[in-house]
Amino acid sequence: MRFRQTILALGLIVAVAAMAATAGARVATTQSKTTTITFWDAYSSDGPEVKRLEKVLIPQFEKEHPGIKVKDVTIPYDSLHQKLITAVAGSQLPDLVRSDIIWVPELANLGVLQPLDTTLPDFKSISSKVFAGPLATNYWKGHYYGLPLDTNTRIWVYSPLAMQAAGVSAPPKTFAQLQADSATAKGKGAYFYAESGTSCWNICPWIWSNGGSITNGTYTKATGFLNGPKAVQAVQMLVNLYKAGQMPNIVVDSNGGLGTYDGLAQKKYTSMLDGPWSFSIFASAYKNTQLAGTTVPAGPGGSVSVVGGEDIVMTKSSKNKTAAAEFMRFMLHSFAQTQMARAGQMPVLKSSTASLVKIHPYYATYLKQIATAKPRTPTPKWPQIDQVFQTQVAKAFTGDETVQQALTDAAQQIDGLLK
Amino acid sequence: MVTGSATRTRAILSARVLILSAGVFLMVVPFAYMFATSLKPNALVLEIPPKLIPHPATTANYTDAWTSNKFGRYFLNSLGVAIATTFFSVWLSSMMAYAFARFSFPGRRILFGLLLIGLMVPTMMLIIPQFILAKNLGMLDSLSGLVFFYTGGTLALNTFLLRSFFQDIPRELEEAMVVDGAGPWKRYLKLILPLSRPALATVGIFSFLASWDEFVWALTVINDPNKRTLPIAIELFQGEHSTSWGLVFAASSIAVVPVLLAFVIFQRQFISGLTTGALKA
Amino acid sequence: MRPFSRRLRTRRSRLTASSSSTSSTGRLERSATALRFGGRTVQSSKRKETLAAYTFLAPGFILFALVVLYPIARAFQISLYHWSIVPGTTSQYIGLGNYTHALHDPIFWRALENTGAYMVFTVPAQIVIGMTVAVLLDARMPARGLFRTLYYLPVVTSWVVVSLLFRYMFITDGGLINFVLHDKLHVIGHNIEWLSHRWSALAVISILGIWKGIGWSMVIFLAALQTVPRELKEAAAVDGAKAWARFRAVSLPAILPVIAFVTVMLVIGGFNVFISVFLITNGGPLDQTQVLLTYMYRQAFSFLDFGYGSSLSFTLTLIVFALSIAQLRLFRRPKDAA
Repeated sequence: MRFRQTILALGLIVAVAAMAATAGARVATTQSKTTTITFWDAYSSDGPEVKRLEKVLIPQFEKEHPGIKVKDVTIPYDSLHQKLITAVAGSQLPDLVRSDIIWVPELANLGVLQPLDTTLPDFKSISSKVFAGPLATNYWKGHYYGLPLDTNTRIWVYSPLAMQAAGVSAPPKTFAQLQADSATAKGKGAYFYAESGTSCWNICPWIWSNGGSITNGTYTKATGFLNGPKAVQAVQMLVNLYKAGQMPNIVVDSNGGLGTYDGLAQKKYTSMLDGPWSFSIFASAYKNTQLAGTTVPAGPGGSVSVVGGEDIVMTKSSKNKTAAAEFMRFMLHSFAQTQMARAGQMPVLKSSTASLVKIHPYYATYLKQIATAKPRTPTPKWPQIDQVFQTQVAKAFTGDETVQQALTDAAQQIDGLLK
Repeated sequence: MVTGSATRTRAILSARVLILSAGVFLMVVPFAYMFATSLKPNALVLEIPPKLIPHPATTANYTDAWTSNKFGRYFLNSLGVAIATTFFSVWLSSMMAYAFARFSFPGRRILFGLLLIGLMVPTMMLIIPQFILAKNLGMLDSLSGLVFFYTGGTLALNTFLLRSFFQDIPRELEEAMVVDGAGPWKRYLKLILPLSRPALATVGIFSFLASWDEFVWALTVINDPNKRTLPIAIELFQGEHSTSWGLVFAASSIAVVPVLLAFVIFQRQFISGLTTGALKA
Repeated sequence: MRPFSRRLRTRRSRLTASSSSTSSTGRLERSATALRFGGRTVQSSKRKETLAAYTFLAPGFILFALVVLYPIARAFQISLYHWSIVPGTTSQYIGLGNYTHALHDPIFWRALENTGAYMVFTVPAQIVIGMTVAVLLDARMPARGLFRTLYYLPVVTSWVVVSLLFRYMFITDGGLINFVLHDKLHVIGHNIEWLSHRWSALAVISILGIWKGIGWSMVIFLAALQTVPRELKEAAAVDGAKAWARFRAVSLPAILPVIAFVTVMLVIGGFNVFISVFLITNGGPLDQTQVLLTYMYRQAFSFLDFGYGSSLSFTLTLIVFALSIAQLRLFRRPKDAA
């Protein structure tokens, strides 16, 4: 009895102490006369980006703007969307969010984002300095609800050694070459091209490079486009590779199979499509594998990849909009953009491109690719649309439906979601 | 005759130990794998063939995990919240269980039924209403708010469990105390609680564990990095594009230690005490 | 505690002595009630009892009502609407529309099947294995504390970690399980694609559930077994009963309410499976392994359809509720007989 009471007492003391300590911290900040803006992001907690943000960028910003403090909250990427939605429902959004570009139309549609084209007096000037593609991801129903923060795209990333071991001397430049190389690699017991899913992020580069599209120009209709001949042809090419055993099964089921990174490191795969982070990751986790990159194999539509990245958005509920706008401008300035470039985040500033290649040589290929990259359909229902896309294309791969059937079904469902 | 039964008892005992050991092996192998992985330098996390004994072995993951970004702070936060939750939950639920087990009063059935309903609704769906409630109560972004909600969440199960144990305590013992003039509080404190140590220990461990492991709610309400709890910290090692598996498993191994300690401490104190204890009246 | 029982016997004898000396039945009644309630009259002691009960109940129940019951009511309200998450906007009332939508949703039915299957695989296994281990441990033996701790170890680890661990162990090429079964023990011809097919993936998730849960039921059964008076067990042994018969006649009936409780809890837990499915297959491939909660999560947090998500969770609650009532009925009958 004594012992238990002692333990309980000790525990309570620890508990109270911990709470008192944190409460004390809270009081300290509210007593100061500075404005504090809160910024949510989803950088990995032990990654180079968050280190740069917290150790270089924020101190620099606070030095340049005495009176404004920036509080950075890092949230695991997989949970950020859920946390945002809960925050919307509870009216607890922060001042600024580094949001995945695909969520911006949804958030804008919910009415929680500040339209920057009307709020920022220098919006035209800032927006002219950034790439058009990433900027377009912020557009919804006549307004721009954010500014691009960092961008990325997928290029053809491969291991030259693995490729040579598979009997191919150089990466493919055309669809035809891809098909020939896949057959060669199979002969040597390796998969030439590994793709780890069937969502638009995975498959759309092929559709676009073949000259096809997902919807019409105004994003209102999918039938006639997603199930049009060019899109069908592109998907059919991939399905044929899969059926011939020349693409690994992780395309339909990424759960139990060998991931692209591990596969490349083990030389079971020679190539994948991936973003600039893969180079940083391999440099630290797979030191024995050298990577190289080139543009996506070109089809009749050229070499067209998919735009990814994050936008920085300001919430309507923010009480410190002027201060938040200052931080936004800072993050879009060449200093911040170059710093983050060193951490593997591709800048959106057109003027940063010159220095980029000096930082990391692989950026040259990414810059080339992003010039023609296309964004995914900007609409609030994108998660549902992508779900339909993913399910139907997977059915084409497994043979449950023919490619034409699968894409026609998808287009019909997507039409309903685009209304 | 005596030697025969002695060898037989020994044989039965050995059989027990053998079967138990085989089972323990199955229980422990995944942990061995996890522990082994935590000792591997990050690059070799998925190697074929998988090795249970890491070679080369390194404790770098542990030092990295512990020194990364206030990990020790998160550990203490989780510890404080878990201990407070356990204390309040065991106290409040034992009181409720006593009321349900020993008293008859109007509304008993209904209230108990409400408790059961609370048990059956998946908590995932309550996040949004709970979030709005927390906001209205000013309990967002606070560790004491966390204790408030965690305690509330464990009450149904704990009360249910304790009630059935309390019901098994013989009424005569309590009635004797009544004759002596003891009021309900005295009976509760001097008789019921001491006699239910194993049940209280069990309930305490479950509450501690529920609080220690809880992730989704903590992630939803805590923003201040100083107030993060351990599961959030572990999840943060998973990046958008890749996961530092060595770090995740090292951090998880560290996270297992307090709960195990709590289990070992409480189990020894109370279950072993029971065999010489009061129910042999 | 032993002094207590001695006092009990002396109290009783003194009481019977005093009551036999009373003349009127009224006084006998009064002293009888004095024995039971320690109060003056039956009525005020009834009120006292109610008051006492409410005092004990109030703090905990108020907290419970606030943190759990009120959100449940709100969540039910949400399920009757096409709910808009932005505060201040009006949501469209659709009555049972979400519920009827679920009935026509093939993925809902598949999720229901999968959840039921998971429950059928994991609940009996956890009870039987947990009970077996508890019985084995219910004896003096070396390293007993160590065994208890090791069996409890999986319970103590976070679902997130063990789900990721199991996912890694069951990877088709290079995972520990296939390595052992195929390369080491040669029990299977080629690597099984565990997570690529519905039933094998559900098997993996079930194995995880069983592995993680055995320690939980074991701890409860062990505590219960240790309250079975040793004299009863020894008496049965002296009578010549074998171990299994002893167990069935003595221990099992005594701990039947605990078994009932554990079964109800495991069924509730089984229906509420979420994190393991979420992290191991996320309902895939192609929604083959969706369970009710992963499907609900997607509806609510990916598609922002909280009304529908809420209705799914209440449907789940109704099923669990019905099942729990049925189970409690089932377990009540033999207990009353015993």
